[in-house]
Amino acid sequence: MAESILPPLLISLKTVLATTAITFFAGIAAARWMARYSGRFKNLIDSLFILPLVLPPTVVGFGLLLLLGRNSPIGGLLDALGTSIVFSWPATVIAAAVMSFPLMYMTARGGFEQVDINIENAARTLGANEWRVFWTVTMPLAWPSIVSATILALARCLGEFGATLMLAGNIPGKTATIPVAIYFNIQGGHYDQAMILAAIVLVISLASLTILAYYKQKVRKAARN
Amino acid sequence: MLEVDIKKRLPGFTLEVAFSVNREILSILGRSGSGKTMTLLSIAGLLCPDEGYIKLNGNVLFDSAKKICLPAQKRNIGFVFQNYALFPHLTVRENIAYGIRHLPKQEIQEKTCQLLSLIHIPDLGHRYPNELSSGQQQRVALARAIAPSPGVLLLDEPFSALDALRKEQLEYELLSLQQVYSGDIIFVTHDLAQGYKLGSKMAVYEAGRIVQCDAKQKVVYSPINRSVARLIGVRNLVDGKVTKIADNHVWVKIDSVCAELKVITEESSQYAVGQEVIIGIRPECVRICQNNEENTVVCMLERYIEGVDINHVRFNTCKDGSGGYLIDANIPTGMMPQLSAGHECKLYLPPEHLIILNR
Repeated sequence: MAESILPPLLISLKTVLATTAITFFAGIAAARWMARYSGRFKNLIDSLFILPLVLPPTVVGFGLLLLLGRNSPIGGLLDALGTSIVFSWPATVIAAAVMSFPLMYMTARGGFEQVDINIENAARTLGANEWRVFWTVTMPLAWPSIVSATILALARCLGEFGATLMLAGNIPGKTATIPVAIYFNIQGGHYDQAMILAAIVLVISLASLTILAYYKQKVRKAARN
Repeated sequence: MLEVDIKKRLPGFTLEVAFSVNREILSILGRSGSGKTMTLLSIAGLLCPDEGYIKLNGNVLFDSAKKICLPAQKRNIGFVFQNYALFPHLTVRENIAYGIRHLPKQEIQEKTCQLLSLIHIPDLGHRYPNELSSGQQQRVALARAIAPSPGVLLLDEPFSALDALRKEQLEYELLSLQQVYSGDIIFVTHDLAQGYKLGSKMAVYEAGRIVQCDAKQKVVYSPINRSVARLIGVRNLVDGKVTKIADNHVWVKIDSVCAELKVITEESSQYAVGQEVIIGIRPECVRICQNNEENTVVCMLERYIEGVDINHVRFNTCKDGSGGYLIDANIPTGMMPQLSAGHECKLYLPPEHLIILNR
């Protein structure tokens, strides 16, 4: 039994950690940029960033397959180098990163937009460069939102199924994450294994959201005092 | 010494101002949306004008011709924001020290202690801004801004969020600040009384332009035009024609009212008999009188609002209440005779308080 539970669990944890790390920085960078950006294509860029949230995951997966597959320029280049992304472990990370990015981006952006621009400006007039303003003022003030964003993105990664299946497939011990393993376990009639994996996802997701709720409550209380 | 000559175009609004400040307090007075805050932001480097230059003590901060626009962090300008903009996640001490971290530790310590006692909260350095009263927050913002010894201190409506009592206290403190801070100070306000009390020089803004920039007494006693007069509180303005000039006296006949008013002005030589002028008076200078002296007008009381110490009364120069000029008067409660709407009475307009200006 353990040999069919442990590999998907480890793959999922590895994927979640790697993906959250990527989404964290990419999401914050994009959010910070868009929060103060007011160019012509603001709304279009914003929509593109959020698009994976509303598209069917299969469409995202299909798109990634076209973008990274063997017949694409990127895929061809990798092929020439003797490697490929599709149906490999990095593919689970790419699929999950694209799917969890919108949540990270949207939530972090909301946090950055709430930071009073006067407070950032005050830091500037006191001689702080943009880097120092960001790390000593913007980030600490937006921190509660960043924490929310990260936990939501993490939970989204853990639950990612459609795009992962399209891009990474179901290779046991290599690309089969928990959600993918659950699907194929049920297909194969292994309900007990599916049940255990489902319970694991449920516990981790519920715990993340509960911790987040407690954290938010604490922040709100601190803000009131 | 700060020299400013800038132009900034925005959709539907253009800011075009030029002034200089030399070791003094300039108060910028104007309605909201007249470009006051925008001027401060341009000086601080938080907004980039389209044209012109800004120089501080000989250093160029902005020059469109030379394509120079120093970022805010390199300008060494103190800014006190309307909402104070303290760092809520830092203690009072850390807030004040934010702009002087390049100094040796010992010096930072000494300077923050000195500033904390200057703003009368020597023991509250460990608190967070939201644990202070609004007046204390305001003083912390001031201390934080002057800690790096900026070349010029900019204050944007610094007292607008405070009650009257605290305001007075802080105005006093701002004036005493000049003992420790020797640079230029510019502050923005829409409150004439405050601008007059705190500034030595006043710039009156209207729709992105300076209509008058002068010593404060000059602005208040000889406003340059009708809109400046309105802004500095001369609510009663009527058109008239000069009938006689002698020494520093000018007599003005008010159109459509049988009254000739004597005005005392040092600039009587500027006017000529027959010239069309505007004369005005502040509501608090209008008095109710009994006898027929000179400079009296017979009016009808139209309405009044009773106040704690001052009654706001509106008179009409036309006795049946239709047409005529309206004269607003602030009459101290003790001087208010028993009158009700429709009553006739005489108003004395003291010649030394009448203001004359070109039409």
